[in-house]
Amino acid sequence: MRKTLFLGTAVLFFLIPIVNSAEIPFCPQIANYTMEVNLDTETDIIEGHEILSWKNNTETPTDELWFHLYWNAFQNNQSTFLMEASHRGYGLSDFDKDDWGYCRIKSMEIIKNENFTGEDLVSTLRYRQPDDRNEMDQTVFSVKLPYSIQPGETITLSLKFLSKVPRPISRTGRYKNYYFIAQWFPKIGVFQDGTWNCHQYHSSSEYFADYGTYDIKITLPSSFKVGATGEYKNKTDNEDGTSTHHFYQHSVHDFAWTASLDFLRFIENYEFTPGKSVKITLLLQPYHKHIKQRYMKAVKNAVKYASLWFGDYPYSAITCVDPAYNSRSGGMEYPTFFTGGTYFIVRKGIPRPEGVTIHEFGHNYFYGLIGTNEFENAWMDEGMNSFLDTIIYHQAYGEPYYSEDYFGIPFVFKKVTKPIESEGISSHRQTWNMDSMQRFSWRFMRGESYGANSYSKGQLMMLDLQRMMGEEVFSEMIKEYSIRHWWKHPKPEDFFSVVSEFAGEDMSWFFDQVVYGSDKLDYSIEYIQNQRIKPPLGFFENQYKTAQKSEKNSPLYRSEVLVRRLGGVKVPVDVLIEFRGGKKIIEKWDGQYRWKKFIYKTPVKINRAVVDPGFIHVLDTHRTNNSFLIKPNKSAPYKWVMNWMLWLQHAMELFTKLGS
Amino acid sequence: MKILINLITGLNMTRRTIKMVLLLYVLNLLFASLLAVPMFHSLKNHIGPSAVGDELEKGFDYLWWEEYRDQSQGFEKTFTPSIIGKGALLKNWESLIQMKFLNYPPSLLLFGFLYILLHTFLAGGIVFIFSQEPPKFTFKKFFHGAGKYFPYFLGIMIVSFTVFFFILGSLTRWFGSIVASSAETSVSEITPFILGIIFSLVSLVIFLFCHIVFDYARIKTVSEQRKNIFKSLLSSLNFVVKNLGATLGLYYLLFAVTILLSIIYISIHSLIPQVSLWSVGIVFIIQQSFIFALIGIRCWLYSSQLKLFQYLK
Repeated sequence: MRKTLFLGTAVLFFLIPIVNSAEIPFCPQIANYTMEVNLDTETDIIEGHEILSWKNNTETPTDELWFHLYWNAFQNNQSTFLMEASHRGYGLSDFDKDDWGYCRIKSMEIIKNENFTGEDLVSTLRYRQPDDRNEMDQTVFSVKLPYSIQPGETITLSLKFLSKVPRPISRTGRYKNYYFIAQWFPKIGVFQDGTWNCHQYHSSSEYFADYGTYDIKITLPSSFKVGATGEYKNKTDNEDGTSTHHFYQHSVHDFAWTASLDFLRFIENYEFTPGKSVKITLLLQPYHKHIKQRYMKAVKNAVKYASLWFGDYPYSAITCVDPAYNSRSGGMEYPTFFTGGTYFIVRKGIPRPEGVTIHEFGHNYFYGLIGTNEFENAWMDEGMNSFLDTIIYHQAYGEPYYSEDYFGIPFVFKKVTKPIESEGISSHRQTWNMDSMQRFSWRFMRGESYGANSYSKGQLMMLDLQRMMGEEVFSEMIKEYSIRHWWKHPKPEDFFSVVSEFAGEDMSWFFDQVVYGSDKLDYSIEYIQNQRIKPPLGFFENQYKTAQKSEKNSPLYRSEVLVRRLGGVKVPVDVLIEFRGGKKIIEKWDGQYRWKKFIYKTPVKINRAVVDPGFIHVLDTHRTNNSFLIKPNKSAPYKWVMNWMLWLQHAMELFTKLGS
Repeated sequence: MKILINLITGLNMTRRTIKMVLLLYVLNLLFASLLAVPMFHSLKNHIGPSAVGDELEKGFDYLWWEEYRDQSQGFEKTFTPSIIGKGALLKNWESLIQMKFLNYPPSLLLFGFLYILLHTFLAGGIVFIFSQEPPKFTFKKFFHGAGKYFPYFLGIMIVSFTVFFFILGSLTRWFGSIVASSAETSVSEITPFILGIIFSLVSLVIFLFCHIVFDYARIKTVSEQRKNIFKSLLSSLNFVVKNLGATLGLYYLLFAVTILLSIIYISIHSLIPQVSLWSVGIVFIIQQSFIFALIGIRCWLYSSQLKLFQYLK
């Protein structure tokens, strides 16, 4: 016993100086990449050598491996990505030979295997099109293995590849001396439920990958400043005028990087919660130098509040990139690394760059730590993350102002603020009957439906849930959902089950309608009627009563409120009835049937009725019809038409210059 | 000095014909009401018996507005938060200079065209009244002038439309394409922004120059009893070019007065919260006074230009 203890201590003793605590993985490392890559900035070619170690973490053996080659989406206009994009009006007519991008496998061998080391797999390479059978699409390929990889077994491959950097089409590419390099290397798919989950690259879909360690060395001319996923370990200057930058990060599922001659680099350590710090690197365009503080503050607020809501940010580094103008790389997320986006004229109260910065940082949770399948369940990352950015923005900065640009200059309307409930409701209102939220990303009717269902409706659903469950329970629930699924691939059911667990009831009635349904939630007050009850007249048990003048002091009213469900989504709602004199009653309605009447016999009339007075259901597409006043406000239309008329009169007066 | 003399003379003439300014203002108000009334009903119907009316009385309810916007049709779509204060003015100037008004709903464009047509008719009356010695407004004289010169002014309007829509429109599109192509190749957004501002200023200068030429063409038509509009226009162009300093100086001085007045209006407007009936009423009076003043400045411009023309002739 003592001997064992001694040996154990000795091993630990030797391990401590070697293994930095920051390098202890947080989760099983399924897909580990060690890469040495060289970017030739003359030809825009990346030559890479990738050592991939992949573990079969399932219960099923497999004798093939599937990979993504995302950049082949940009090799010609027949790829699925560009075919889908062209339907949305994206043209490539001005593309030259050097503008296209691609990724080629030069060699692929099994290594570190007793029997099959050196086995070439390229001859078995086959392009696959699991989503649309478009044979021109080469964004997914598979290789056949000479043996089956058993559950728990690991295979190590040595790949040599060549990636041609495209002119920016979407999210990645080169613009002038700025490179944004994402989805750029042969990346293994996810082996899940006995099959490979490896979708083609679509114009409105994102990604899905397994967790692992990325140990990457990037060589390029020394004049470039570089940023990437993970910790920046070191830089080595080479004799040929190049430098090699070493980045390392465990427990992530992707690696992206950027390089530019122009970046201004700012680094700050930020203690977001007592005892926990993160090193923030901000890579800024020189013409946005004056926005540095706003960017930095936005990242800090994002880390701080996201940690409170969804669990402490576990990584030691975060890099925020201010994307180059025209690079089409703005507003994208990668683990510990993301791009923001701003304009050189900033105004207080306009969430630029804060909105996008918080959103893209937030993806470190909803996509990064909680590794949902973005191809299949886009709302689980975009919807939840939109909720994250909205609540964090409102918490940190308050309600944003309405703004409009005139002559390219943003003007703030301080008399108009945007409440949290307005985030996303308009796009949901316009697309609610197009699709359900739960669709594969490329199978939405239109791009705006993908956006509205994945981002807006997802966000509104979260806000609705928050208000239905109560803030405290919801906060506990969402934190639990988050932490429970870090470094996992949760599916919608996993989320539903956590919600039901905390709600204390099976919430599938809600999700069936909101996630899988394509109906709208719309409750309204149709009318209020106050009818004076007439005195008894006629026969009453053989007694005949004649019409008499009612007593003036105690009239009775039969007051009626009709509440209607105009949409297909059924939720329980409260109905507030307010009587003259201020008496209020809250009625409960299960909201199931098409309508419900509330009838009272009272000495005072009903003044006002509101369905969902607490504004629980932010999914309600028409909030205006939720309330009814016996005496509606008469001055509001006058006030606003008067303001509108001033605009019209001024326009008339100004536009006469065109003709007289 | 001659600019100031004629400006002061023009101002006095305008003061003496204040009834004409009032008439023009009333016509502006009535014409605007043709759309304001349906807009009022549109807002009233949408707000209905909802409690949102109370919120709208206190301020602008953004949530309600999004709902209204999503169901609005035609000219209703122009009801946006930007109608508040400075937004209304900036939006109009940008729409005019960058020809963005062409994207307005067809019903609004037709309405605008009809107003310009009406104004073309009225302009004959304005110039005719100012051309009298001493200028004195009577309905009879005003409408006599308006009717007499309408065919000529209509011709000038057609030429003016041709110049603005085809020539200036092409120029604006060309500027726009330069900005767009610069945006595609620029290192930052600053270059296209600066180009955009420069082109807007150039467009404004050209626009105002054309406007000056058309103004003097109308003045010449009345004061020289010209019957050929093309000769009037050429003669006007010749006059403006020959007296560039005086004609431009006078115009730009009054343009500066308009800008100053607009700034004053915006400042006052932003100080008054429209939360009660009386404050709404006060804002209405301020707004209408602003429009009245703008119409007054337009008359002042005509009278000063006429006087300058007579002075330099």
